Amino acid sequence: MSLRIAAVGDVHLGVDVGGRYRSHLNGIEEKADVLLLAGDLTRHGTLEEGEVVVNEFRDLPIPVVAVLGNHDHHSDKPAEIAAMLRDAGIMVLHDDSVVVEVNGTRLGVVGGKGFGGGFAGKCASEFGEPEIKAFVNHTKRIADRWRVALKELDADKRVVLSHYSPVNDTLAGEPPEIYPFLGSYLLAEAIDAEGADLILHGHAHMGTEKGLTSAGIRVRNVALPVLGRAYGVYCLNGDEGC
Amino acid sequence: MEAPQYVAARVQGALAEDDRTHELGIRVDVRGDQLFLRGQVGCLERRALIADVAAEAAPGLTIHNELSVVDVREPEEEEKL
Repeated sequence: MSLRIAAVGDVHLGVDVGGRYRSHLNGIEEKADVLLLAGDLTRHGTLEEGEVVVNEFRDLPIPVVAVLGNHDHHSDKPAEIAAMLRDAGIMVLHDDSVVVEVNGTRLGVVGGKGFGGGFAGKCASEFGEPEIKAFVNHTKRIADRWRVALKELDADKRVVLSHYSPVNDTLAGEPPEIYPFLGSYLLAEAIDAEGADLILHGHAHMGTEKGLTSAGIRVRNVALPVLGRAYGVYCLNGDEGC
Repeated sequence: MEAPQYVAARVQGALAEDDRTHELGIRVDVRGDQLFLRGQVGCLERRALIADVAAEAAPGLTIHNELSVVDVREPEEEEKL
């Protein structure tokens, strides 16, 4: 059976663009079975912007799963925004998992915001000042939670949904100097250890759509400026019904 | 005279931190008394605001607003994985 995953991140909605994105979601049920949102749904992370996001994505005919991004944290209201989305029927991941039944297939989605630190050989270490240790430790704790969530996940197909990138493949186009602020290999290491069918992320507006982890898991950067289209659609069952 | 790199960094910081913009992905280049803004933004109103904030952070420079508005196309055929 088909398992078509629509995904987009970095829609950066605000009261100035309320209602504009919704028109692109008309008929999404003809193109996809589930919609995944890869964070940075708002610009400033205010409750007013959260309301715009709710109105844009509520009552769709397919399930919607979201993670928040760094912009959604800016006003220190991520829990409140997540609660608003959940009240509207949108599932929000915070370093945990959800299983969605799609056409008889159990789709497991694991993820959360993710964080930075850089990529193997060019990354920060948990050493020195407390501020650096806290930065690196934040990513390590997230990666550990994803590893556990993947290990415990009971599903037919497994997708990881993140805001920050787990690989540097999909950052091509961004200045290399800022890679440590765009993602961390620790996320990919955890995912590779437990296995997944697809990884989706946003955050890197000037990056590239397609990449791979070291273990060969497909990674897609679905940031709206990268896609240039309302959402990408990825079919996990190959030619068997897509 | 302030080094152009510092001016560009100050403008980039203002675009990220100013409540009116919070834009992290804007490229800022300073050449002489010219300041160039490049990148993609969500709508025309945001494009204009970014130029306003840049002008306030770098008074006296001529702003060249080369930002483009993201053109959201309809979804294409799915990718089979």
